[in-house]
Amino acid sequence: MKSLKIILAMVLFLLGIAAAQAHHVLGRPAYSLGADSNTPPSMQVETQIGDFYVTYMAFPAFPKPNQQGRVNLYASRIDNGLPFDGKVTFKVNDDSWFSGDEEILGIQDIDDSVFRQGFIFQKEGDYIITAEFESGGEPYTIDFPLRIGEPTPVGPIGITVAILFFVLITVNVLQRKRRFSLKAKRAREEEHS
Amino acid sequence: MIMTHPGLPDAWLWFAIALMSLALLWVLLRTPTETAKQHVLKVERIPVFGQLARLFSVSPWPLFIFKLISVALFLTVIAAGLFGTPIPERNLATTLTWTVWWAGLIITVFFLGSAWCAVCPWDAIASWLVKRRLWRRADESSSLGLKVPKAWRNVWPALVMFAGLTWLELGVGVTTNPYATALLSLLMIIMATVYMAVFEGKAFCKYVCPVGRTVGFYGQLAMVELRPRQQQTCIDCKTLECYHGTEEVEPCPTHLVMGTLTQSTYCTSCSACTMSCPHDNVGWRVRSPAAEAIQHARPHWDEAWFMLGLLGLTTFHGITMLEFWEQSLSSFGQLIGDSGQLIWSFSVGMLLVFFAPILLYSLLIRLTKSLLPVAIDFKQLFAKLAFVSLPLAFVYHIAHNLNHLIRESRGFSDVLINPLGRDTLPLSSHELHMRHMNPLMSEQLLYGLQAGLMIFGFWLALQILQRRTIETLTDKSIWRAHYLLPGVIFITSVTAFNLWLLVQPMIMRM
Repeated sequence: MKSLKIILAMVLFLLGIAAAQAHHVLGRPAYSLGADSNTPPSMQVETQIGDFYVTYMAFPAFPKPNQQGRVNLYASRIDNGLPFDGKVTFKVNDDSWFSGDEEILGIQDIDDSVFRQGFIFQKEGDYIITAEFESGGEPYTIDFPLRIGEPTPVGPIGITVAILFFVLITVNVLQRKRRFSLKAKRAREEEHS
Repeated sequence: MIMTHPGLPDAWLWFAIALMSLALLWVLLRTPTETAKQHVLKVERIPVFGQLARLFSVSPWPLFIFKLISVALFLTVIAAGLFGTPIPERNLATTLTWTVWWAGLIITVFFLGSAWCAVCPWDAIASWLVKRRLWRRADESSSLGLKVPKAWRNVWPALVMFAGLTWLELGVGVTTNPYATALLSLLMIIMATVYMAVFEGKAFCKYVCPVGRTVGFYGQLAMVELRPRQQQTCIDCKTLECYHGTEEVEPCPTHLVMGTLTQSTYCTSCSACTMSCPHDNVGWRVRSPAAEAIQHARPHWDEAWFMLGLLGLTTFHGITMLEFWEQSLSSFGQLIGDSGQLIWSFSVGMLLVFFAPILLYSLLIRLTKSLLPVAIDFKQLFAKLAFVSLPLAFVYHIAHNLNHLIRESRGFSDVLINPLGRDTLPLSSHELHMRHMNPLMSEQLLYGLQAGLMIFGFWLALQILQRRTIETLTDKSIWRAHYLLPGVIFITSVTAFNLWLLVQPMIMRM
């Protein structure tokens, strides 16, 4: 019994070391990783619109409901590389076919060449974040997708199964009708003959 | 961070140009023979391969097992795409579909012909759902069995699908989107099932499937074919089981009669003919590559467009992976005030590259028509000589795909172990560098293969051009080498452009 306790203590001790090591990334505690860290988990997309190169980053890459996140947006002129220094309005709406609701997340000033917008979503789903600004009298609108939590896979699978089911049932019903009418026709022919 | 594949070195480029010049001289200077020689070898005579081919020809079981594996992988792709990580290089949906399968499939066509179609998962799922049989002949009432309307009996739908697939792949970025890859897979199942439930045979495979038609047309260059062992047996046959099927075996799903078969474009390698033939007269044989494209395949207007479309779209693939493309697209997007996704600029660019070789080809066909001493319809000549585009597209397609395959498929075993990519992060710079520096084969071997392929394609295209041009002459004694000049200009221009593309550093996809 005593030796069992010793083995158990050793196992727990080793597991404790492993757990402690797992919390370190390159010698730094993982809890220090964040949006401002130099190696944060993020989704980054670069695009071009009008006179600007735009880069946006989402932190964390795949946020979960009720988890704080942030979008960083950089916009620099294509011709001279100067950053845009006006105001950027961030909006959000549901990325679904029948949704028209739009909500303003915030209006942000430039901060160290970056526009930062925090967010917390309570519901899982696919959202579209819209960043809007004006330059030289021209409006600029940039949309980018953001998924909160796990996607809903039942949608496409459900639609596929429903279509297949509908097609197969329809073909079956039509074929039955065909068979019956053929039988009836044959019966009529036999009667006449 | 953007990584690029190094391009073909100058030494290999000049080596290819030197050999191509010799090939060109040889074709222009020699007097062509009346008919092209064709060498064939029955696969049954080759040890091991013979037994394997026999196994697949007489029993439905081996093919069924392969279908099961293929369907299992396909369903895993769908599951990974819908439930897995959105990081493309960590998800089985994107890595298996676009890096391994789509890149490797074209290579297999040369050695195995349309073998893919025999184990195609969306066709297998559609067959099982509609026919409710795993391999035996289904009750005819399982499908409406309607004849495909005459206006639909062509490969225009497949060409539109192939162009659409390229647009989705390169313009919308399906290749880097596991979820969209899964949706595309589901769409293939739906389309295959609907077609099978409504029409007779495998109309979807024959007229619509972009993969099936690409495999089918490239199959004209393959070194294997399914043919009668003894032609006379087929001539004497009155029951045509290969066409009608038997009580147990399905009829040919694409309505081919073995005795008159001269091209494998629409053969799906399903083995129905080998299993149904009561005389055991159908078998696999090895042949000279491109024998069909050189002389046996019959020209058709829609098929000619498909082959030229393949050429334009494969070249387009290469162009979009060069750095200058991004810059040009950006400038053009600015000019027309395109959105940040540059989708309109991309679509216009794609249309231009798609039609450019077709336009050049049309002009040169007009020139050929004026040079030939016989009266021939433009459409007829257009269709007849379009076969030259097949080897040009095929070799560039493989040469381009090899680049993706040998570097980007590194790490595929990790994805197989964790197909959904749970708890993974995007590739680090270190991993990207490791993939870049450690390809699956040595770079010199890759360059050698790419140069060799380009020479081979150029050589085949010249062979096809010469054979197809001489066929237009009723009197072969009036043959003159200068009839080939417009065709030679086309082949040389396309090859030179594709070689230039190969020389450029190419952006890695993943």
